Amino acid sequence: MLSRVSLAAVLVALAVALSACGGSSGGGSKTLNFYIFNEPGGGPQKVAQECSKQSGGKYDIEFKFLPNQADAQREQLVRRLGAEDESVDLIGMDVIWTGEFANAGWLEPVPEDVVGPASSKVFQSVLNTAKFEDRLMVVPIWSNTQLLWYRKDKVPGGKPPATWDQMIDVAEKQNLKINIQANRYEGLVVLANAMILSAGGKIVNGPTEVALPEEPTKRALEVMRRLGTSKAAPTGIDTSNEDTARLGFETGDSIFMVNYPFVYTSAKENAPKIFKEMGAAVYPRVDADKEPKPPLGGINIGVSKFSKKKDLAFEAIRCMIKAENQVTIAKMGGLPPVREDLYDDPEVQKIYPGFADVLRESIDKAGPRPSESPAYTDLSLGIQRGVHPLTKLGAPDEAYDKLHDYVEQAVKREGLL
Amino acid sequence: MSTAAPPQVGAAAEKPQKVGLTERARAERKLAWMLCAPAVLMMVLVTAYPIGYALWLSLQKKDLRFPDETGFAGLDNYATVLGSGLWWKVVGNTVFITVVSVIIELILGMIIALVMHRAIFGRGAVRTSVLIPYGIVTVVAAFAWFYAFDPGTGFVNDTFLSPDDKAWFGGRGSALTVIILAEVWKTTPFMALLLLAGLTTIDEGLYEAARVDGASAWQRFTRITLPLMKPAIAVALLFRTLDAFRVFDSIFVMTRGAQDTQSVSILGYDQLISRLNLGLGSAVSVLIFIMVLAIAFLFVKGFGASVPGQEDS
Amino acid sequence: MKRGTREYTIWSVGIFAIVIAALFPVFWLVMLSFKTPATVGDGRLWPKEFTLDNYDALFTGGLDKSPFLQPLINSILIALIATTIAIVLASFTAYAIARLSFPGKSLVLGGSLAIAMFPPISVVGPLFDMWRALHIYDTYIGLIIPYLTFALPLAIYTLVAFFREIPWELEQAAAVDGATPMQAFRKVIIPLAAPGMFTAAILVFIFCWNDFLFAITLTSSKEGAQTVPAALAFFTGESQFTAPTGNIAAAAVLVTIPIILFVLFFQRRIVAGLTAGAVKG
Repeated sequence: MLSRVSLAAVLVALAVALSACGGSSGGGSKTLNFYIFNEPGGGPQKVAQECSKQSGGKYDIEFKFLPNQADAQREQLVRRLGAEDESVDLIGMDVIWTGEFANAGWLEPVPEDVVGPASSKVFQSVLNTAKFEDRLMVVPIWSNTQLLWYRKDKVPGGKPPATWDQMIDVAEKQNLKINIQANRYEGLVVLANAMILSAGGKIVNGPTEVALPEEPTKRALEVMRRLGTSKAAPTGIDTSNEDTARLGFETGDSIFMVNYPFVYTSAKENAPKIFKEMGAAVYPRVDADKEPKPPLGGINIGVSKFSKKKDLAFEAIRCMIKAENQVTIAKMGGLPPVREDLYDDPEVQKIYPGFADVLRESIDKAGPRPSESPAYTDLSLGIQRGVHPLTKLGAPDEAYDKLHDYVEQAVKREGLL
Repeated sequence: MSTAAPPQVGAAAEKPQKVGLTERARAERKLAWMLCAPAVLMMVLVTAYPIGYALWLSLQKKDLRFPDETGFAGLDNYATVLGSGLWWKVVGNTVFITVVSVIIELILGMIIALVMHRAIFGRGAVRTSVLIPYGIVTVVAAFAWFYAFDPGTGFVNDTFLSPDDKAWFGGRGSALTVIILAEVWKTTPFMALLLLAGLTTIDEGLYEAARVDGASAWQRFTRITLPLMKPAIAVALLFRTLDAFRVFDSIFVMTRGAQDTQSVSILGYDQLISRLNLGLGSAVSVLIFIMVLAIAFLFVKGFGASVPGQEDS
Repeated sequence: MKRGTREYTIWSVGIFAIVIAALFPVFWLVMLSFKTPATVGDGRLWPKEFTLDNYDALFTGGLDKSPFLQPLINSILIALIATTIAIVLASFTAYAIARLSFPGKSLVLGGSLAIAMFPPISVVGPLFDMWRALHIYDTYIGLIIPYLTFALPLAIYTLVAFFREIPWELEQAAAVDGATPMQAFRKVIIPLAAPGMFTAAILVFIFCWNDFLFAITLTSSKEGAQTVPAALAFFTGESQFTAPTGNIAAAAVLVTIPIILFVLFFQRRIVAGLTAGAVKG
């Protein structure tokens, strides 16, 4: 009995000792903790290193990695910010979190002297994702948008058709598929938002007012329904995401795909035969006479309201968003810069051979998701429930009512979702 | 083997004394409390605050994204949850998944336990291989099943199991099938292990006697094995049911709750973590807790004295 | 007794079926772990091209840079420590409940069960806050404590069920011979309880080994206490949207190997213990 008790005591002591070694350091007074996911290209890390060096010892940016999935990142950030964690200085913010985090009082607004450099030459659409109640709350560092990728060898006339309906016709005739993202997750909201905006409508008119004008919304729903039920829909469409869309296109069974530019480098490496025939164009239209509104993604950098080194943090941000650093990030990870003048830079043109201008046009025209709404997550969940699965989407009238109900519930933040 | 009633020394020592307890009984109590204390303390200290906090939150209106709107809400959150059609649909889902998987696991687990106990060869191989599913990280196992069945990456669609290209996660029935399959595969070993433990306590002599009396294998099973295994079955069922009711990982990875495959835990997650509505989410958690308690209570009553701790005290 | 070929065949088929069913998904994971990023979506069971890149990626960089090695060590140590402490504490408690008479027995059992059954998501938020305030966030002890809390009920219940089956008379005999309750426990009960304790130990170890939710909430770095399941969420694919399927599969295969070894090693003890327990008349 005694020997057992002492064994237990030794083990507990060991555990405590080990735990002392395992404690995480808060860092010195010059360390800026940057909470962001581990971008596989390594661009942000390199840029941060450079800036820390150039600061001449004023600050040192240390990366605290978050999980790779956006949902998991948000979960961890929310926990820390909700607990007013002082160790958070810089935050890698997905474009849709701005309103939510700002309203919760977790972000330090961008000071006057930084607003200038932060917005100079930046796309207006991108800047809109960084504002809350007309104030700039975060600083854009890189952007992202979806392009229409097509098979040059399969499209009639070598150029893709302009509208979704035409695309579906072409695909059906050739017995090929169209890859999109339609699982019940944020990617579906990206699609739905792009469709509704491209049809001339919008989802909300402000944080608590539902818009969803009937005609454009019903038109968008009609197109989405066709996409989900046509012969050109891949079998796994209801669980499709960016990755499965890419994989599907790389097998050669598809003629069209809407996706982010990462598919370009992926196809080059993994499916060279398909890559040879891959072309890029601006996001498809819903109606021939209306400009398309491509989706908008990307990352903004925010400063936590509870950080003790806010001034240093903004200084670091000013360095990281410099033109040459944006080009580095683009080179290393294929992530599009937020400044429109950079698309004329020959280095950037090399990263996106032949479609740098398409990219610029897309981001310029892009239609952001309603990120200025503090209840964005509710909205997103509501839209997902209203529209998923595409294969079972009802006739436009019915689908419209259903979507409207869910979005209404979401902006009022009522009920269970 | 609780058929042999132990001589009630402790109790007998108490009865004749009408005043207080004997020295021995008192020492026994003190020892008992001392033995229980570390475990109890450990459990209570860690969970008292979180559970209390969750209870308190459930009575508040608290949404992290709207810090100015906090306030006491009484039972409003509970009213919202209980009045929501979605809640009851999800409860139904969860009950369905629980009942189906536990029944399958009980039958399969019993078979495997019998094999592990009685096999004339290859016992080691069976025991080892059966524990491997249990030892794999749950999310990874779920993800393996997902990748096997999803039309984009899986091989199932080309096999005899599914001749045409079926969107397994596109429909409620098929998605639930895969989810239940994954759960059963993962946790049948747990059942088998507990049932095996019960099997080994049965006296071999009883089987010998029955065989001599001409009882068939089935009769031996139903008349000797099953009744004597009641305590082990009760513990296995209890834990497995309570666990199955809180299913989360598999559903999260495979459908994220789409196609009406949500479980109550996923619903709780959506409110607490996605919507940051701490009040509503905590109410969901408390309701899950109450339902789980109810299930445990039902089990204890249903199986009566067989659950350890409810008997001679 | 005659053992005909028919009996052998039935047993063979049965055992074969069980082993295949148990191992097939693991086999699939192994196959996935050998697939190149280009072929991960080709829908084949057997890879078209085999590559060891996924395993390579897990080990390159040594203890410092490898995304897997340090978490693996963390997982092993944390699970071992938690299991040992849990079995010790649970044995004490289970003995008291099974053998001694005292008020509050049902309360201890029922209460511990209730605690373990509370939905984990509501518990992790407050735990995160508590741990940060106590400065044990991202430490071994920060994970060991919740693991103990949530594994103890299972261990206690299992051990109580075992302890109840032990013949009461043996303890009586020891008492008659002059042993104190403590000595009776150590010399008579422990050997008889060993098989039950091993079963409980396995269940607790696997619980700690597999845990995902607490690991991901209460740890944040591999220099701290990040375990393998949590580290999986940080594996990167080739881009923000590409799932690192091959790497995850490889990591999964690797973390299952210790389980296999663990089971193989202790399986002999269990076999001996369980069959010894069945022999007593």
